[in-house]
Amino acid sequence: MAALAARETLGENAAISEPTKLAGGAMHDSWAADATVEGTTRELVVRVSPAGRADHEKTRREFEVLRVAFARGVRCPEPISVGQCETGEDYLVMSRMKGDSNPRQLVTAERFAAARTQLVEQLAEDLTIIHSITPGDVARAPGMRGAAPGEEPLSYQRRAVEELYRADLLNPHPAIEWAFRWLDGEIAKLERRGQPPCVVHGDFRIGNMLYDQEGLTAVLDWEGVHIGEPEEDLAWFCTRVWRFGMNHLEAGGIARREDWLRAYEHASGITINRERVAAWEVLQNIRWAEITMMQARAHLDGHTVSHELAAIGRRTAETELEILRLTGVGERVGCAG
Amino acid sequence: MRDRAENARDRWERFQFQVAANSIAILKREFEMEDGFMRAEWQGLDQLLGDERIPDAQTALATRLRQRNAELAERIRQGDFDGEAEDALLPHLWETILNKVRIASPNEIP
Repeated sequence: MAALAARETLGENAAISEPTKLAGGAMHDSWAADATVEGTTRELVVRVSPAGRADHEKTRREFEVLRVAFARGVRCPEPISVGQCETGEDYLVMSRMKGDSNPRQLVTAERFAAARTQLVEQLAEDLTIIHSITPGDVARAPGMRGAAPGEEPLSYQRRAVEELYRADLLNPHPAIEWAFRWLDGEIAKLERRGQPPCVVHGDFRIGNMLYDQEGLTAVLDWEGVHIGEPEEDLAWFCTRVWRFGMNHLEAGGIARREDWLRAYEHASGITINRERVAAWEVLQNIRWAEITMMQARAHLDGHTVSHELAAIGRRTAETELEILRLTGVGERVGCAG
Repeated sequence: MRDRAENARDRWERFQFQVAANSIAILKREFEMEDGFMRAEWQGLDQLLGDERIPDAQTALATRLRQRNAELAERIRQGDFDGEAEDALLPHLWETILNKVRIASPNEIP
């Protein structure tokens, strides 16, 4: 399948090496293959989605956004082609990027200490470029969800997260209900945003990038891309679940939250409202709590029988605790927690 | 289980044994602590929703606790605990979640 997709892309004259399956990726299969055309060899990744899944639009959307991001200089795979095999599978062919993807090694290993320092700046630079992409720049990308005209991205996303939360609810969660009330109060206090909405990566976290000793080599996993505002990506990068145990470094386990925001402000020239980021971080934690519920539900419904997914369901409680910490409840009730 | 994780053949197998070991540890803590935590949660709900006699049987307690939490969640959603009423609600939420984390992931509590 992967070889077929590569050949369809590069033509009959391309010599394609035997594809090897790449690790990771629960939603798709990815294959590495080398294609040689007229003496030049290109290292490729061919990502194939199973037939019958509604990935057609999503794959095209990712391709279009990657095309714009790559052209503007974001460190990301070069998208080469997108299409559908005769048997129905959607495929995306991209250049293969070098680098390591293990986030735990990145945040803890001594030999990556210099890379971590570099990464903060590099990620801020690339995120700035991503956020400079306007909805009009990606007009060809189908199904770019986002706030309706006149609606704030934060209010839009709060509504979207609540819809998912109500759909996946297994047990009542009074703490999350209260957090939605808290969030509404904060949103009401925030000044309306001055800048127009922009493209956001949607899943910008330390586990979705490749790195080497010099720092960032590629930003990956663009499936969550949509229209939003910069604070959305900045806050998701800080959520506790993606710190891989380095909890004192709130920004992805590699930097303090404040240093991360300053790096972004330095790269972009935009002043970031700390209250807005704080509201987004609470919302993003609710989103993660919702994901843990969805995964537990998949286990209980028997879609995917996995003790790993069931154990993730247990993480709902620690995410609720983080939400109560972030909203200042721990301090209010007089516990350091 | 932890020994088997140590001696696993590869990263995947080690991870699976670690997950299984963690799940067993959670069940052990649940067995030791959950009954007391449920009773504490019931008393907290009494303060917020009004007194109710606590069921004797464990399953009846779990079912009724869930129903009372659904009621609390709905009342929070309706705004009944906005403003000053928060002062009564928040300590209950904090203690209840802290107890759940004591069972599910005690490393998260410094």
